[in-house]
Amino acid sequence: MFKRTLFTLMALVLLTGTALAKDIVFATDATWPPMEFVGPDKEITGFAVDYMKAAGKEAGFTPVFKAVAWDGIFAGLDSGNYDAICSSVSITDERKNAMDFSTPYFKVRQALVVPKASTVKNIDEMKGKTLGAQISTTGHFAIKKVEGIKDKSYDEVGLAFEDLFNGRIDGVVCDDPVAAQYALQNDKYKDALKIATIIEAGDEFYGIAMKKGNTEVLDLVNKGIKAVQDKGIDKELQKKWIGQ
Amino acid sequence: MNENAKRSQDIKPVVIDIGDGAAIPSRGDRGLVSAWKLSFFFAVATLAYLLIFRPTPYVRLIKFLPDGILVTFQVTIFSILLAIVIGLLTGLGRISRNRAINLVASTYVEIVRGVPLLVQLFYIYYALGQFVKVPDMVAAVVAMSFCYGAYMGEVFRAGILSISHGQTEAARSLGFNRWQTMYYVILPQAWRTILPPVGNEFIALLKDTSLVSILAVSDLLRRGREFASESFLYFETYTMVALIYLIITLILSKLVSIMEERLSRHVTR
Repeated sequence: MFKRTLFTLMALVLLTGTALAKDIVFATDATWPPMEFVGPDKEITGFAVDYMKAAGKEAGFTPVFKAVAWDGIFAGLDSGNYDAICSSVSITDERKNAMDFSTPYFKVRQALVVPKASTVKNIDEMKGKTLGAQISTTGHFAIKKVEGIKDKSYDEVGLAFEDLFNGRIDGVVCDDPVAAQYALQNDKYKDALKIATIIEAGDEFYGIAMKKGNTEVLDLVNKGIKAVQDKGIDKELQKKWIGQ
Repeated sequence: MNENAKRSQDIKPVVIDIGDGAAIPSRGDRGLVSAWKLSFFFAVATLAYLLIFRPTPYVRLIKFLPDGILVTFQVTIFSILLAIVIGLLTGLGRISRNRAINLVASTYVEIVRGVPLLVQLFYIYYALGQFVKVPDMVAAVVAMSFCYGAYMGEVFRAGILSISHGQTEAARSLGFNRWQTMYYVILPQAWRTILPPVGNEFIALLKDTSLVSILAVSDLLRRGREFASESFLYFETYTMVALIYLIITLILSKLVSIMEERLSRHVTR
């Protein structure tokens, strides 16, 4: 009997606890520094994580981050394992058919990273070469768009950089803040790699993805993003995580 | 425990033999034969149904996958050939009277059996990749055969030990040296015992090649994953990938069982 009362009490406490501020569970593939990655203390951290925490404070929700591998991340959203995806998802037309997006929260372009000794200035010069990217990212799509380049897809972008560093592939295409993190700041790679070019394919924007028709979460997230942008918090975060 | 149960236990020791390969149907085992037929019919019928009545994603899908199937077969065939060579050497090493050779072979088997294949693949590709720069296919084949060589070594060892010692004595008394005895007398006979489990390992290896998709080798599974994460057709893609793997392994297990029957035809029972 005592056990049962204790259990009911605990359940009550838990329920009231969540009722105060709504939890929104975000899936994130935390292998995409500096946007979202696992820090030294094993916590998921980064620009997007701070951004959503700030948005949650403004709009009244508690973001909970759940580590999910990239190539199953959209399937999990569909089957309802989490409420939204906060994982540097670029808004594309194909993705818009399958899910809803929040207002954009960050602008990116695709960058081509090559070994320091390379003289390549343009992605078209890479014909006949092999370029790596994380599986089904916009970087991967950008490689596939160019005729004559062999594409190689990795589970994580870090593995692609390691293969580039080890000389198995000729370049990596990924979002520019990530490229900058690996090619300019990373202690291991910064002396060996450089950003060759920014691929001009129009600007892309990151958005928070959620299941089609989930307006409750969509409204909350949009409200948070708007408040963060109005107050200029996003500029501070950009300075903190990405630099100029 | 009553008397009867005790007696039957004495007579019939329980043998549980479960490999990780597909079940090999044999003529004597009617239940398994019908299970094979049932699953094969089910797989082919489902595939045909999907292609004919749901052409929209499935025809596009089956056009996307063939180069992946080719890579899966390439990795499997090269790996099994290399694994047979490693396995033969390991098997001979394990029964060698030379203590040093015996120790090396046994240590190799222990190490390989103690590290998960997935970890071995990561290790050979990324950890050793810093020192030895090999293309991805080579790394995949080396990793797979390094692992399967150890299992194959056990198969060879068991096969060689299954040949009665009288054969060795007869050959030695005819003036063959130890090497000739092994090469001309023991191995040709052992081969008959060894081949069926080798076939079994082949099927197990084919299934395990799906692990090389983590090395960014574009095998069947990786092609499927690329298609799925781009089109968001997860159910359709993985249904197709599973069906293709199933049909391939069912055909192979049938071939192995036919080979097994051919080989044992001349053995008096």
